[in-house]
Amino acid sequence: MDRLFDRRIIFVGGKGGVGKTTTAGALGLMAAAAGRTTLLVSTDPAHSLGDVFDMPIGNEETALGPNLTGLEIDPEAEAESHVATVKMSMKSLVAPKMYAEIDRQLELARHSPGTMEAALLERMADLMADAKSRFDLLIFDTAPSGHTIRLLALPELMAAWTDGMLGYRDRSRKLGELLDMFGKQHSREDEFGMIGGSKDEPDPSRDGRIQDILLTRRRKFHRARELLTDKSVTAFLLVLNAERLPILESKKTLDLLSKFDVPVAGMIVNRLLPRDADGDFLKERRRQEDEYLAEIDQTFAKLQRVYLHLLPHDVHGVDTLREIGEAIVEQLGIERGGGAGVPR
Amino acid sequence: MKWPDIKKKLRWWGYLATEAYNAPYRGTIARAKREQDDLFMLLIFSEMMGVPNPVAYYTLELQPIMLERFHEWHTRMGMEHSPLDGFRCC
Repeated sequence: MDRLFDRRIIFVGGKGGVGKTTTAGALGLMAAAAGRTTLLVSTDPAHSLGDVFDMPIGNEETALGPNLTGLEIDPEAEAESHVATVKMSMKSLVAPKMYAEIDRQLELARHSPGTMEAALLERMADLMADAKSRFDLLIFDTAPSGHTIRLLALPELMAAWTDGMLGYRDRSRKLGELLDMFGKQHSREDEFGMIGGSKDEPDPSRDGRIQDILLTRRRKFHRARELLTDKSVTAFLLVLNAERLPILESKKTLDLLSKFDVPVAGMIVNRLLPRDADGDFLKERRRQEDEYLAEIDQTFAKLQRVYLHLLPHDVHGVDTLREIGEAIVEQLGIERGGGAGVPR
Repeated sequence: MKWPDIKKKLRWWGYLATEAYNAPYRGTIARAKREQDDLFMLLIFSEMMGVPNPVAYYTLELQPIMLERFHEWHTRMGMEHSPLDGFRCC
């Protein structure tokens, strides 16, 4: 984890409400301060990146400070522009009286399940592929675990789909070639004034266009998958609290991530009760927390961990984020020295 | 009979023999190819036929290209107009 900022893509994930956005924001600030041009991307449909930085972000890349840019992906806008493109090319092919029909049909497609996810994935894949030329580092503040896992699995599933579709095309093409072989004699038809034989495809360029679209898709999916599973490029950071449910969910997430070969760089244990907080209630909470911390140590022994304490105030604006970022970076320094442990 | 005429006759018989052999294969292969293409098209339009399609987002961009084939398919299947209420091509 000590070479975290050398990676090109960092995913910050975890259960809802554990502090993913804060962590992502803090990491972004630190990376930017270390001189890496950084793009912070929120993929959660309920964006809060802008709230943490206390400035409006939205679907356009917005400067958040020196070396730091923010972006909140709006899957609905993505889907809309995708459908608009399809509409355009469809309208060029049919009679104008069909336009209303097409509008209605495609409007349904836009709202079909999976469309938003696909649109989001599309944008993420584009960013992962293109951002290299503009940014040193890409940090994804992801939606709660389940959603993210699905998203990371999509390239593999979709690649399988395009492969299958291309397989059908391939079989059709082979049959076509075979047909040509048997049809060669047909060149003599004219000579004998015969009629009949196989009717040609109405649009011979169609096969090529289908092939092109499917191949472009496949290339995109394979590329995304390659980047996702490359240890030297991608790092997944799991954020959790020392509580029962986040631990259980992190365990599941970790299993799924390893199933999809996504490299996990480490863990951030967030919102620990400060040692100096007093009162019987907090003492009791702390006793419980220590149990969970022990469980975390045991369950995730192989992963490097960073520990962050609960702050006496809200995370609001750049100053607080920097405070948190420095705590993370400092602990990363400790980790580098080898002597890891709960700083208490 | 002059030599060129004999040559033409021979070629004619040769052509008939080859065709007699090839035609059945050609028909079978052409049918197999058409079935393959139909399957592909139905996968692209599956959503409209009531088959849930998890990859609708990606099949969508192939639909404009398949529009013509869809029309060809339903006329071949003996339906003068598109069988789908929500989707008409003619």
